[in-house]
Amino acid sequence: MTAMLKRYCLALAVLGALRAQQTIAPTPEAVGVARGSDFANYNIVDSFELGYRWLAAGGSVDTYRADVNYGDGIRLLGSNLSINSKDGHGRWFDEIVLTTSGLGNDPYQNATLRIEKNRLYRYDMMWREDDYYNPGLIISGGEHMMDTVRGLQDHSLTLFPESHFQVELGYSRNTDHGPALSTVQAFDTFSTAFPVFENVKEQWNEYRIGVLADWRGLRVIVRHTWDYYKNDSAYNFTGSAGSGVAGDGTVLDQFERAEPNHGSNPGWFGNVYGSFQHWAINARLTYNLGNGGFAMNELTTGLNTAGAAENRQVVVNGDAQRPVLAGDFSASVFPTSRLSIVNNTAVHDTRIDGDSYLTQFDNGTGAATTLNFKFLGVRTVSNATDLNYRLTKWLSAYAGYTYSDRQIRYLEAFSFPAVAGSESVYPYQQESQLNAGSLGIRLHPVQALTINVEGEAGHADHPLTAMSDRNYHTLGGRIRYRTRKLQLSSNYRELYDENAPLSLITYSSRSRQYTAEGAFAFRDWLTFDASYSKLHLDTVGGLAFFAGVQTPQLQTGYDSIYISNIHAANAGLRFDIRRRADLYLGYTITKDTGDGRATAAPASAATDPAASLLDSVQTFPLTYQSPMARLSIRINSKMRWNAGWQFYGYGELFHLLGYDQNFHAHTGYTSVLWSF
Amino acid sequence: MMRGAVTLTILGALLAIMPAAAAAQSLAAPSTTGYVGGSACKTCHADIWQNFYKNPHFKSAAAGDLPPSQTGCESCHGPGAAHVAAHGGKTTIPRAFSVMSQGAALEACLSCHARDFQKANIRRSEHTLAGVACTSCHSIHHSPTPKYLLAKKQTELCYECHAGIRAQFEMPSKHRVNEGFMECSDCHNPHGAFAPTWRMSDRPRMVDQALNNEEPCLKCHVDKRGPFVYEHPPVRVEGCEMCHFPHGSMNERLLRRPAVFTLCLGCHNGGASGTRLNGVPIATSPHNLLDPRFQRCTTCHVRIHGSNADETFLR
Repeated sequence: MTAMLKRYCLALAVLGALRAQQTIAPTPEAVGVARGSDFANYNIVDSFELGYRWLAAGGSVDTYRADVNYGDGIRLLGSNLSINSKDGHGRWFDEIVLTTSGLGNDPYQNATLRIEKNRLYRYDMMWREDDYYNPGLIISGGEHMMDTVRGLQDHSLTLFPESHFQVELGYSRNTDHGPALSTVQAFDTFSTAFPVFENVKEQWNEYRIGVLADWRGLRVIVRHTWDYYKNDSAYNFTGSAGSGVAGDGTVLDQFERAEPNHGSNPGWFGNVYGSFQHWAINARLTYNLGNGGFAMNELTTGLNTAGAAENRQVVVNGDAQRPVLAGDFSASVFPTSRLSIVNNTAVHDTRIDGDSYLTQFDNGTGAATTLNFKFLGVRTVSNATDLNYRLTKWLSAYAGYTYSDRQIRYLEAFSFPAVAGSESVYPYQQESQLNAGSLGIRLHPVQALTINVEGEAGHADHPLTAMSDRNYHTLGGRIRYRTRKLQLSSNYRELYDENAPLSLITYSSRSRQYTAEGAFAFRDWLTFDASYSKLHLDTVGGLAFFAGVQTPQLQTGYDSIYISNIHAANAGLRFDIRRRADLYLGYTITKDTGDGRATAAPASAATDPAASLLDSVQTFPLTYQSPMARLSIRINSKMRWNAGWQFYGYGELFHLLGYDQNFHAHTGYTSVLWSF
Repeated sequence: MMRGAVTLTILGALLAIMPAAAAAQSLAAPSTTGYVGGSACKTCHADIWQNFYKNPHFKSAAAGDLPPSQTGCESCHGPGAAHVAAHGGKTTIPRAFSVMSQGAALEACLSCHARDFQKANIRRSEHTLAGVACTSCHSIHHSPTPKYLLAKKQTELCYECHAGIRAQFEMPSKHRVNEGFMECSDCHNPHGAFAPTWRMSDRPRMVDQALNNEEPCLKCHVDKRGPFVYEHPPVRVEGCEMCHFPHGSMNERLLRRPAVFTLCLGCHNGGASGTRLNGVPIATSPHNLLDPRFQRCTTCHVRIHGSNADETFLR
């Protein structure tokens, strides 16, 4: 490798390594250019990083676990193995690539594997595991806790991967299991919600088989999938708990709920596409038949809100179906080398219906049976045309127009079999059309400089909710300068959905995003990068709710306001000390200054408790920061010793709704990286 | 079963309307002269050749039975005779990617990779419209990643332009991308995706569909997929982003607001929008918002993504 090329690769690697250093380990620094060892007709490159993580956390450790969750212990922080045949004609395989991260006990673990024999097969595997902890925090007063493990895996085998006829086989699996706390209301929908234990147990399995064929210049894919979902989570509560609320005499003595939910989704996928000198097509059609069968048996004993004894059993069973048909057709034409026009038509049709038979027994006194039914259907047809034209070598323009038509049908039906003539149906239907146009220009005056300016405006006449896009426009621009040693970029984007006058359905929101970023390799031993982003969001919408110190009254004179001003900054500095050691210093801060107020609710609102409550949630100022330092010392040509420290500090200014969830945590690690 | 048959019929019809393609020519039909073979290249470019057997493009050289225009170095760079005769120089390379325009680089790569399903929507992708070409993200000869030949680790590549997204992944509540558990491409197709099957099918364009036609969120959060007898319409119609920021949030559980009741009241105000002509239901009178119990809607409405047993998502 030439010296110039080496410097170039190093500059690129260093500029790359600086970004995205948000976690202290595994160590990104490599021992050197890995040449590997030759064995028979193969070259083998291998590396392991084995180390120990430590943690010292204070404050709300629950919040730390929800946001970060690194703990103590020995880890295989990372590993890479690659085996390549040197002539592309290995006996059983030509390539094996295995990478792992966090194995041992990190909350985030993953492994990927590829095994390939040229022209014969290619096998890809992905495995991940996430230890998820969430104490519920403010949104439910800490009652919805989760301490579960989610496992994901995906296997894909392609036979004859370079031929005109290929066979694909696949299997994916997704599991979630572990303890959790949920909540339940006993007997009465206005009773206190009691925390109940939940044993989360769910799994999803998907099987795929497909063929891919090249036919007369087109590629055709047909795939059949089967997936099965199973949720056997169970809930229980034993003991005796009162509501603790004045006027609510509810006492929960026993609660058990089993609700197996098993579903299947057989589906078809078809795709035809081809790209030619002056035109291209891409057509896709999918159909999924969703089925869900469920049953629930719930038993509750205790006292109701009035203090009367209750022994209630609720039995629910039924089925839900959701067939989904979706299709796309894109036609592209390239009349000249400067112009491309793409027209895309998409159709999506789904309907969700089913039946739910609910039987509620008041054991010992009688029974009531209700049959409920709901239907939700969505049909969307859209057409979009995009035009991309290169006017000169350094100036291009692009434009687009989208029309979308969506129909939503919603049906509620109720019948009470015990009461003759009680059947009633409430159908609702809503149609919405969207018209949106976009325009952009792209400047490339010199090789290193790129400038983009673009905008889009759209109007949807009947958005689904008050918060959906109605009259919106976007405006954006990006400028980027990139050489081998210096990279600078800046970006602006706004999305305004402005509707007036303010009412219950005319919600307005404005978001603006400014970013600036730079990376500079002063020398091959000293590099620096920094970025700054400001994310602004303000929204206002109409409110209607019941509130009152004594008797709740309908309140309509308030607005829902939310203002967020987030400043996010990163900086990283990397020294290569005499080619023996690497020192990295980094700092990340994310700070929401809200609307700049000093107290959660202004004193002027103190006389109006509803105004005071709404004021207190209009903004959420907090600071989240994370400085870090890492030292990586090269022991010899195959080994490094690494050590690092990273601090996490989370501080809310107002302790929303009275909960203090601030935390600080020092994490660190030491490891040995061995490559051969 | 009936609908499956209909699907197959439509698929068959799609195939039947395509025979016109037979006469079409492939992109960028290569010249058949001037090829010198990879052995000539390695004479000067030994540093690249030395590890080229680890490169996925080496398959073309290893095959041994492909025409020169599809073999090794010249399959991408074009015939090398002029370059050899001139004893080097970028101007003598028919396709020197470091000096090619972004559009030309895209066309060169698509001459083979237009057959890849993942690139089927590349012509209308936002990256293509913004002038992001293959070589902006991929490094063919100096890639640190064996798979996909990315110029850098995936997150580093994406953050280079999307600093605002990087800021979101550094917020307290976020998907674990920086921690290595997820990657941007778990949800996005950087080469362009099909029209979304949620919202109004217009945006976003780079979000890939999972499970054939679902939002990618449901690939992992499969318990939210349903179908439910009682669907919460915004979840199915508008998608998860109605209530959640997908990348990261200053609020717990990626919520758009710090207190959940402000999120719910945004729609549940009785205003005449939504699927009900008489408005999205307002919280009933016993829901006294001044009582802390009613400020935490999901404490009681635990199945807010959909329920099979209660139309107000209580169980």
